[in-house]
Amino acid sequence: MSYSNKFKDYLAHPRNAGELAGANVIADEKNPACGDRLRLSLILKNDRIETAQYLAYGCPPTLVCGSVLTELITGKTVSEARQIKKTDVIDAIGGLPSRKHHAAALAIEALNAALDKLT
Amino acid sequence: MTTNRRIYLDHSATTPVDPRVAAVMSGVLTENYGNPSSVHGFGQQARAAVDRARREVATLIGAKPNEIVFTSGGTEANNLAIRGVCEAAVDYGRHIITSAIEHPSVRGVCDALEKRGWEVTRLPVYENGIVRIADVNAALRPDTVLVSLMWANNEIGTIQPVREVGRLIRERRQAGQRNLWFHTDAVQAAGRLPLNVDEVGCDLLSMSAHKLYALKGIGALYVRRGVRLAVQNVGGHQERERRAGTENVPAIVAFGEAAKLARAEMSQRVAHDSVLRDRFESRVKQLIGDVVMNGDRERRLSHLSNISFRFIEGEGLLINLDLEGVAVSTGSACSSGTLEPSPVIRALGVDDEIARGSIRFSFGKDNTEADVDYVVEVLSRAVERLRALSPMTLAGH
Repeated sequence: MSYSNKFKDYLAHPRNAGELAGANVIADEKNPACGDRLRLSLILKNDRIETAQYLAYGCPPTLVCGSVLTELITGKTVSEARQIKKTDVIDAIGGLPSRKHHAAALAIEALNAALDKLT
Repeated sequence: MTTNRRIYLDHSATTPVDPRVAAVMSGVLTENYGNPSSVHGFGQQARAAVDRARREVATLIGAKPNEIVFTSGGTEANNLAIRGVCEAAVDYGRHIITSAIEHPSVRGVCDALEKRGWEVTRLPVYENGIVRIADVNAALRPDTVLVSLMWANNEIGTIQPVREVGRLIRERRQAGQRNLWFHTDAVQAAGRLPLNVDEVGCDLLSMSAHKLYALKGIGALYVRRGVRLAVQNVGGHQERERRAGTENVPAIVAFGEAAKLARAEMSQRVAHDSVLRDRFESRVKQLIGDVVMNGDRERRLSHLSNISFRFIEGEGLLINLDLEGVAVSTGSACSSGTLEPSPVIRALGVDDEIARGSIRFSFGKDNTEADVDYVVEVLSRAVERLRALSPMTLAGH
């Protein structure tokens, strides 16, 4: 399959890669069908996501969705972050083929798992 | 991150057309346009060109020219061989023996025949990626009509025991099993190993021109004299009634020229490729940890290296290399949330992580040592970058 230049840029230059020391919460989600994995760590201040970092294993869309997710949620309150959907991640990348949408779904699952741990 | 440098390390997928081959073909395209079936001079000129090419292709594998059937490529050759033999031998048996690491075109035909009532035994390979002759012997039955075993594998390059299989089949035939045939898919081996159909004792052998510096869309099936084949393409007398359709004259001529060059230059190409591959593997081992070299270290093609990089997935690495101008391939594919790891790497008995992280690097006659050094440099950086992103490198994960 061919990927857009924006997608390739995310892949070559991952944003917010790593794991936060002193994270308030860490969520580690896995897609059991394909083995892709996304691990999200967050630091919150006053109910707002101050910093987000991720680690990922899997196909390129999974790696890219991790970057995009951390960009989308940084600075958001917990309730604002809960409003972010799979389609927001896909739109932020500039689109994904439908057979790769599971990568964005995994990103949202990791986000929701992290937010659920806060409550 | 883009680069102007472009390095092609995917010669097992296809090769660039050799300029000498293109030059010969170009002359045919513009000047020798007759239909080889036509009786007039234009037609006979085209017929002569096809015949010359047929001799070159036959000579590459030690066959007679009238045992060569030109096809549209390796896939059609494999289809014609397997379907053709099985359908012609249906009164004698419906059992096929093949391996777990065949090319998709062989796997596909066997799967299709299985749905139509044939029984298929898929022999395992072991951690070295090679079929054991004892397994072939044990799988043979009185109703076996075909053994289809590739000469060399397309993903890991391992060379299969085709000579031993050929000997075994001949012994069985001499013992009375007259409708037992041996097909080998030599698409990766042709032009890269000395092939001789009589020494090996195969009855059918598939080749593809674009793996040996000619163009796509042309291949050949060797059919030993006496092998009964149910014709798949009907409606013309071409190829001695074995494959109907006007011959693709320019492509056939290109194939003939490429076969001639492959034969003349084989030893220097093999030496060149193996120097590059060994330099590459040695530097990878020096610079990158946690790698697994897939397939037997000795019994393999000289131009190919298949390596799994732990903690990362192949496609991400492939695209990172592509951004640096380096073309390689991976056998794994992920779609619709379901992973399809390379069946070949899985057949080696490795875990999912190794199968997902495998990359094939295949060298060619135009690659240089400077190419190798550049590739190792960008590969090392890309692996480091992706591993920094991988949760599997965390302690305890």
